[in-house]
Amino acid sequence: MKTIKIAIFALMASTLLLSTSCKKEEPTTNGNGQVTINLKHLWGMGTDTFRLNTTYIHPMNGDTMTFSTYKYYVSNFKLKKSDGTWWVHPESYFLVDLSSNSSSLLDLGALPIGEYTELSYTLGVDSLRNVSGAQTGALSTMNNMFWSWNTGYIMIKAEGISPQSTTGNFAFHLGGFSGVNSTVATKTVDFSSNPLTIKKDKISEIHFNVNTAMTWCTSGSCAGTSSVMMPGAIGHQMATDFHNGFVFDYIVE
Amino acid sequence: MKYFFLSILVLTIISCKKKNDDDLAFQLIYPSYFPTPVYNFKNNELTKEKFELGRKLFYDGILSSDNSVSCGTCHSQVHGFADHNVNFSSGVNNLKGTRNSPAITNMIWSPAFMWDGGVNHIEVFSVAPITNPVEMNETMSNVISKLNNNSEYKNLFKIAYGIDNITDQAMLRALTIYMSMMVSCNSKYDKVRQGKVSFSTDEAEGYELFKQKCASCHSEPLFTNYQYKNNGLDSIYTDLGRGRITFNANDNGKFKVPSLRNVELTYPYMHDGRFWTLEQVLEHYNSGIKHSATLAPELASGLPMTADEKKKIIAFLKTLTDYTIISDFKFAPQ
Repeated sequence: MKTIKIAIFALMASTLLLSTSCKKEEPTTNGNGQVTINLKHLWGMGTDTFRLNTTYIHPMNGDTMTFSTYKYYVSNFKLKKSDGTWWVHPESYFLVDLSSNSSSLLDLGALPIGEYTELSYTLGVDSLRNVSGAQTGALSTMNNMFWSWNTGYIMIKAEGISPQSTTGNFAFHLGGFSGVNSTVATKTVDFSSNPLTIKKDKISEIHFNVNTAMTWCTSGSCAGTSSVMMPGAIGHQMATDFHNGFVFDYIVE
Repeated sequence: MKYFFLSILVLTIISCKKKNDDDLAFQLIYPSYFPTPVYNFKNNELTKEKFELGRKLFYDGILSSDNSVSCGTCHSQVHGFADHNVNFSSGVNNLKGTRNSPAITNMIWSPAFMWDGGVNHIEVFSVAPITNPVEMNETMSNVISKLNNNSEYKNLFKIAYGIDNITDQAMLRALTIYMSMMVSCNSKYDKVRQGKVSFSTDEAEGYELFKQKCASCHSEPLFTNYQYKNNGLDSIYTDLGRGRITFNANDNGKFKVPSLRNVELTYPYMHDGRFWTLEQVLEHYNSGIKHSATLAPELASGLPMTADEKKKIIAFLKTLTDYTIISDFKFAPQ
């Protein structure tokens, strides 16, 4: 048994060595380019960039909404190469916070040059990081996107004022990472018909439009629900609507 | 024979102590009949420096908004790291919570924390009391900012974690190391299990009764099965307990089965501290069970006990008091 294991290991090791040595002989796959994710936040069908502290009318429920906070997690970016293997962005956690303009540009850093046909990403934080103890960076508890009493990251937090709300305020903290009411979703964008070519020392951009009004397209007016602070059916519905408003737009090579 | 290995371990420890007393005090030592801890120290290796830093943080009011409340305020060593025999603890501005501060020994064996199990990892446990308005009423960013403005802490974090800028992760991990060392495993019960001493007649009879009536939930050796049970306190729940976390009506009125180690010291009892004596607790199981939809089925007819049986069970429960941990100088503020 032990001998078989050693043999398998040796075989794997030699394959690995072979593949590494092959790579060196193929200059066309050498080198890195870079990729960024550019997020454009829009309110409904509007064409102007969505901003905090600006008053908007909701296109479906007619609410007047002024946001003081709009932030959410997007994580686990992966790009599929034309050979079917995936390039996985390491430590891929971004907190998009509209109080900072720079957070709408997500730098995925360097990746090998070549053709890519598909992008995969997660809206929210994957369940593993929700059960793995204290984290850093985008996942630090200092970002106020963490539920301390019912462990887990908030997927999206949107707060502000609305005259339709009985309290005058609204606060939507949509979270929960497990079960039927999970607010975390992994999405893919297939652009195989027009693949992304990462070129040496060039920065490619993948653009998304984020319709910030979508979150309230099913839940209705703040007159009904103006606050969500725990996992549940309403949070799940609103999160799903948010996910559907996060849409691939175009690629710039 | 079963404890032969343990005795060897203990002997080795005693002989080592002479050579290396200081280092050994900062190793995780627990009896062979304890299970493997849930917390594995994989990303947070146990060191003396982290322990001492965690201890300093544990007793420092800097974690609260007005610097008045520390972890040690409500988790006192002499009370088995529960509060000072009050039903509800006082936080910043003397505000009171709605649940009794539990004893926090043997935490590394617990799969979840709080009475309702809402916290899933020991490293993030401390975020809850720090940020709760009726406990320490602070924000994580403000705590970290205060620590980063303190040259002593800057230095201690540099030594313990090799970082120049203090992070919430490092602070939470230092507290974890200190709490993870709070292993209560040297009660009379343990000494009996290790063959060093014997139970009195009452304690021995109480132990047999305990095994028949209590041990299905308060399972040895940690005296909890870590499940959530409705133990018949109320027929109408004022606190949904586990149901508040799972949003499942079948969990309403259920709370985590608490460990009974040091139970003599940790009164009052239950999630709301309604019973002040062990006699009251046993009388509740004997005659006070209130029926409701989620009542633990094993309590449907109560746990009938005579006065003599109750006396003997209590005699046994008092053998779970661990005088070593409540007097160990390394856990005290210094």
